[in-house]
Amino acid sequence: MNGIQAATRLHLTKKNMTFGVPVQIVGLVAVISALIALIIWRAGGTPGSAEWITGARSNGGMAFGLLGFLVYLGVQSIATTFPFALTLGSTRKAFVGGTLVWAAVTSAYLAVIYAVLLLVELATDHWFASVYIFDVYYLGTGDLLILLPTVFLGSLSALTIGALFGASWARFGNRGPVFLGAGLAIGLLGLLALVLPSITGSVLDGFRLWWLAVAAVVIIAVSAVMTLLLLRSAVVR
Amino acid sequence: MTQAIELQSVTRRFRNDNALEDVTLAVPDGAICGLLGRNGAGKTTVMSLISGQDRPTTGRVLVDGDDPFENEAVLSSISFVRDNQRYPDDYFLHHVLSIAPAFAPHWDGELAAELVEGFRLPRKPAIRKFSRGQLSAVAIVLGLASRAPVTLLDEPYLGLDATARGLFHDLLLRDLGRHPRTLLLSTHLIDESDSLFDHVVLMDRGRVVLRAEAEEARRVAMCVSGVADAVQAFCADYPVLRSHSIGGLRTSTVTGRLDDDARSRAATLGVQLKGASLQDLAVAYGSGDSLQDSSKEGISA
Repeated sequence: MNGIQAATRLHLTKKNMTFGVPVQIVGLVAVISALIALIIWRAGGTPGSAEWITGARSNGGMAFGLLGFLVYLGVQSIATTFPFALTLGSTRKAFVGGTLVWAAVTSAYLAVIYAVLLLVELATDHWFASVYIFDVYYLGTGDLLILLPTVFLGSLSALTIGALFGASWARFGNRGPVFLGAGLAIGLLGLLALVLPSITGSVLDGFRLWWLAVAAVVIIAVSAVMTLLLLRSAVVR
Repeated sequence: MTQAIELQSVTRRFRNDNALEDVTLAVPDGAICGLLGRNGAGKTTVMSLISGQDRPTTGRVLVDGDDPFENEAVLSSISFVRDNQRYPDDYFLHHVLSIAPAFAPHWDGELAAELVEGFRLPRKPAIRKFSRGQLSAVAIVLGLASRAPVTLLDEPYLGLDATARGLFHDLLLRDLGRHPRTLLLSTHLIDESDSLFDHVVLMDRGRVVLRAEAEEARRVAMCVSGVADAVQAFCADYPVLRSHSIGGLRTSTVTGRLDDDARSRAATLGVQLKGASLQDLAVAYGSGDSLQDSSKEGISA
């Protein structure tokens, strides 16, 4: 077993955290979405009407409900696992490689879960009650070819950003995440200030979904490289 | 003799503090070396550098002739669990036992099971809820069952009860007999481990103050005790490492061999004389008296 495989296994030993908890969160968000639909119906909404469908498809619960957990999972994949990985004899490079593979496995697993549940939702005409949980605008409005890359790249981005924050903590202690967060916020606001005037109506009209995919790939790559750079000089104490 | 571990003029600086200063030491292949010294002497930093978990500010660290930092082949031959080891969130004992073989090519599952049974390690609570002794036992399981050619044990006795310490000793000796390897062991319970060591490195304030074969180290110094004036008279001809007085009685540890001359002089002055044990040496060097004035009356210097 090479170093990257061993580091991947190190993360996968915690099966419940990787595979169990996300499904529990998905189930909880689904129940909350169904309850909200019930409340709207009781308040006078008409299930299946055009107005109902438009409103229900704006449900962002399933798109954003896991984000916080995934960022946390990314943080702990480095912050508390890195010292033990070095103890076991991993190199920093193999650890970051294994962490990235694990994050990709987790993201692919979530994408498959979402895809299966979307198919069930479509096959049951939205759970027999016009409840829109996965067939929503944020996840491609029932299009598997949009849902799969959206969930995969979104999850992977959240995990790698979390890992980057974990690495900044491993390298600089409490100051790391504070300065990284402040730096990212200032950088993003500065970028917005620069490009906002040049974003005209024609640019917005020409917007393509794959731009977001490219942005996600860049975020994932930059986060992984920065994580490695931070961990190379991190000292375990 | 081939050296399994070498540190050549190693300094490790954290901001303005030198955790290690110009440390040079070598541990021969197959040796059982005691790494002794007070808290903060630099023992864990030395182990951290040897295991590639840290890099020296200046100097070189070699394990089997290679730099261990980011060296997968070398790191797979080293086992080092620090005394304050952190484990991933929500990690249980079975997680540790299932992942360790993926990194340790010589892992012995039967030995691990025997140690877990012997130390009565519980499977149920998360490791972060383990007691200090149970954490030490987990470190021992990892250290011994990995059968790493270079095994570093950092304060393995911390919190262990007497039965567990005995078990550790027995299994360590049995396993080293069957599977010889280089062992570097740091401990404050020196008298209990004394018989294990064939080499000793003694550190104080980030420096190596003594490195020798254990037999040689046991002949380096002697302890003299008796009436203060007589002890002081005896010590006049020897460098004093540490002195301690209670009332009119005084005990001093001095460098010098316990030979016929020393015995005859002690008999003449009416003082008691004995060879300094490794524990006596560690206490003496750790007191700081050897670096300063040797007479600190009335305090356990």
